Amino acid sequence: MTKLAQNVVVKGVIRAGGLLPSALCRARKMLSMPRGGLQAASLTRIMGLIAVAAAVVLPLLVGQFYIRLGIEALLLGGLALSTGILLGFVGLLSLGQVAYFGVGAYISALLFLQATGSFWLVLAAVVICVSALAAVIGAIVIRTRGVYFALISLAFSEVLHKIAFNTVALGGSDGILGIPAPRIGFAGIGQIDLRDDGQFYYFALGVIVVIYFAIRRILATPFGSVLSAIRDNPERVPYLGYNPFWFRLLAYVAAAQVAAVSGMVFPLLRGYVSPDLLSFETTTRSLAMALVGGLSSVLGPLVGGGVITFMDSLVSSLTERHLLVLGLIFVIFVMTCPDGLIGIAARRLTRRERK
Amino acid sequence: MANWVGYLHLVVVPQAIDGLIIGLALALVALGLTMIFGLLGVINLAHGELYMLGAYAAFSLTAVGIGFWGALFVAPLIVGAVGGALERFGLRRLGARHDYAILSILLTFGASLILRDLVQFAWGPETHQVEAPIAGIVRAAGMILPAYRMLILGIAALLIVGTWLLLYRSPLGAVLRAAAYDRQMVASLGIPVSAVLTGTFVFGSLLAGTSGVLLSPIYAVFPTMGHDFMLLAFAAVIVGGMGSVSGAVLASILLAEVQSIASLWISPVWAESMVFVVMFLVLVFRPQGLYGRLGAA
Amino acid sequence: MKGTIRTAAVAAGLPVAAFILVAMVGEPAAAAENFKIGMLIPMSGTLAPVGKQERFGFELAAKEINESGGILGRHIEFVVEDTESNPQTAARKAEKLYQQDKVDFVTGTVHSGGTLAVGQVAARNGRLMSTTVSYSTRITGAACSPNVFRVNAHAGIQANALTAWLLNNVKGKRYLILAPDYEMGRNATSQFSNRIKAGGGEIVDEVYPPLGAKDFSTYFGRIRAARPDVLLTMTPGNDTVRLLTQMKDYGLLGGDMLIGGAAGAVTRGNIGAMKGAAEGFLTAASYSPLIDTAQNKAFVAKFQTAYNIKPDLFAVDSYSMIYLLKAAAEKAGGLEPGKLRKGMENLSWDTPQGRRTMRGADHQAVLDMYIIRVKGVQFDVIGKVNGDEVVGTDECERF
Repeated sequence: MTKLAQNVVVKGVIRAGGLLPSALCRARKMLSMPRGGLQAASLTRIMGLIAVAAAVVLPLLVGQFYIRLGIEALLLGGLALSTGILLGFVGLLSLGQVAYFGVGAYISALLFLQATGSFWLVLAAVVICVSALAAVIGAIVIRTRGVYFALISLAFSEVLHKIAFNTVALGGSDGILGIPAPRIGFAGIGQIDLRDDGQFYYFALGVIVVIYFAIRRILATPFGSVLSAIRDNPERVPYLGYNPFWFRLLAYVAAAQVAAVSGMVFPLLRGYVSPDLLSFETTTRSLAMALVGGLSSVLGPLVGGGVITFMDSLVSSLTERHLLVLGLIFVIFVMTCPDGLIGIAARRLTRRERK
Repeated sequence: MANWVGYLHLVVVPQAIDGLIIGLALALVALGLTMIFGLLGVINLAHGELYMLGAYAAFSLTAVGIGFWGALFVAPLIVGAVGGALERFGLRRLGARHDYAILSILLTFGASLILRDLVQFAWGPETHQVEAPIAGIVRAAGMILPAYRMLILGIAALLIVGTWLLLYRSPLGAVLRAAAYDRQMVASLGIPVSAVLTGTFVFGSLLAGTSGVLLSPIYAVFPTMGHDFMLLAFAAVIVGGMGSVSGAVLASILLAEVQSIASLWISPVWAESMVFVVMFLVLVFRPQGLYGRLGAA
Repeated sequence: MKGTIRTAAVAAGLPVAAFILVAMVGEPAAAAENFKIGMLIPMSGTLAPVGKQERFGFELAAKEINESGGILGRHIEFVVEDTESNPQTAARKAEKLYQQDKVDFVTGTVHSGGTLAVGQVAARNGRLMSTTVSYSTRITGAACSPNVFRVNAHAGIQANALTAWLLNNVKGKRYLILAPDYEMGRNATSQFSNRIKAGGGEIVDEVYPPLGAKDFSTYFGRIRAARPDVLLTMTPGNDTVRLLTQMKDYGLLGGDMLIGGAAGAVTRGNIGAMKGAAEGFLTAASYSPLIDTAQNKAFVAKFQTAYNIKPDLFAVDSYSMIYLLKAAAEKAGGLEPGKLRKGMENLSWDTPQGRRTMRGADHQAVLDMYIIRVKGVQFDVIGKVNGDEVVGTDECERF
């Protein structure tokens, strides 16, 4: 399809969507048509594929500890992605996505320990609970903006942290131990045993890859364009016939889900969950990941996840001053390359293209 | 009936006075924070560490023989210098970008990590203590309060009044408020705006450092002391209205009182969360806080 | 297009290549001669002062042992990792130590939750670990594990020793317990309060400020109203400084009320900051530098020369742990986990504070306790209690 034809169809769809009264009909059309030129898509798609390929190859080259560290990097990358989505595509800095990460982790821990061994059941429980929670909280906080949103999200995660810390039924400050790693059955095809490090790694990679492509897909649709419009020029969007509130809310819930699903898998790695997962320290690390990788891309936080996790492991074995190093990274990246590593890569590539 | 009055007299009122004292010390921190936000548009996540630095400076100064009063004068100056450096070499370099708000948050955040670690590196992880300049108890109307806490009350109140006078009754204050309202206009009047910005940051840091010195004899000195105080200070700034001076002071007192009195009746752990709930509610139902902006208040 | 692909490959692949390089370079060289011990201590965060003393104790012991030939001819080598006072980090670092650095043993955890988590990691990796500081009774009680050992006195032992002494030596029977509101604090409180009540004392109030509370003046009204004869606090070092300083400011100290508490409340790490507020503080601890034995005097002198500071219980318990390993390895004739476990169980060995025995039933060390009273910046020994009397029953049912 030529670019012109694409644009015509897309504009027609948006106009049609604006005229038709049925919200469902609009939603269906919103999510069905990818937009944008081939070149922009291919650049990031290539980088994404390269990153995935590298991640696939990693376990074959390194030892057990680094495979497990890689799992942690992937899952924390998911948390960072959750922050990155909200910031890069909705323009909201959330300092509290760990709240959903923690909720996912605790639901997962309690269910696997006491109720069931079925991954799919737990996944359903997490998705339902977090959707409800995020919808309620989001409906309240979405109305705030900028720094207010940042601080309110921080307060929210701090409150949840306190709840986890002080509730004996949730294990209190000691947390919950002995969470069994389940076997995940795919009807007919086979089973993944999470007690095996290699299988766990590829499973986590699979989860993150699915999330990654899902987010990219959603953002490439008209829904995504409206989000960008809301981010860049929120006053104007209502005049185009869209209510920013619902778009923001949907994005907020989606981001919460990303954090929650990553959090859901996390306790299965060491069979242990504790309130520290909800602490400000975890927020700090996820912010560093998003910043280093690239705040306004989908791939960025994931790449950042890998970089920060591995670097942190290395640094804290070499020196006690790991906080200092982390702080310096923050400062250096903010002052020199706030678009992160992916941003640098993208700029060099587009510069080359223009030649 | 008598029991009620007695309870109010001997339990609630002292608690309230204590809340007032803490509230005023908190107000010094919140004041600096809100001025920085009002004028520079920056959420200074390193503000808690500036407060901490004040306490550490006081510790070292008193350790080498400079008395408490000397430390109270010198330590804030040191902290002010650090704050000024952060603004001049950090925030100013960011320049004017559309995502300045986000980046400034991240920058000050990184600065807070650096400061915290440097402090632990220089002074060790142990808790240190600064001796209060006066000891003894004040007994009034059957209530018992340490003399030093009353001193904090006095000094903090003086500083707050002084700041208010500076902002609303002096030419410099007029410039500051005008710059918060319309920076370009002020620049076009020939006033060096960049000096005003740096100066504001320095002043805000100075206030935070002073609070650190004042509270160090009762709260001790340790590397993580900045963190929880910060959340409370932010809550105060938000509830009071970002950029509002009277708002910051009143909200600080209000929140400190809420926490203080609430811990009489609900488990103290949840009393801390009450503050967040208040902040949450304010943000939702009255996002501009109790008052408006620096220019308006 | 080809150039684009190549550059994209480099850009996205570079960070990944970096990790792989680091990971491969980080693979340990085959060093089978040394006995590698993972020193997993808090070096940053709120528990860092404890980690500092632990490290001194560990290193001094290793130095002495290595100088006299090592353990079964093998030198001790530490791989030091920072728990950052965070149990999640502790668990991750423990995995690194076992899987990456291939240590034979991990020790030094402070946070009780962290000890439990690291114990689980140890079990999953078929190796052993011990704590030298954690004093939640769960660790060798309800949550015991065949892979976890403890050389220090837990809250129950402290409670046994201190409450016995208090009930015998203090006329007043009104007790107030103040503890931080988290697992460890609540655990310690119940240990003390149960024994006090059993011994005829009365618990007039239990106060639970949040962990890390800044201002304790909120509770002084309650404390005054309760009129306790003895106030026991379970607060960690940082909090205790604030608590006692503020109590002094408010005139609550210096009267007839005695103060005391858990062994970690007042230690070498925070006595300096107390500026006299801890005067008369009573505690039951495994150690004081003033213990009057030739072995201890020599130890203190050596420690002080090496580190310019007097040792506290954290240092001595850590020091003792290394000597336990030595004794166990020599008894069992080997350092493999199975042998080491067998060797450590029911083994008695000498330490600067006295002779200890590692009880096989629950891996809890039985050790003499000293009743200590703070005087100035010294920890005076005013009583001694036999280890067997205070160690408590074996509550471990898992092995």
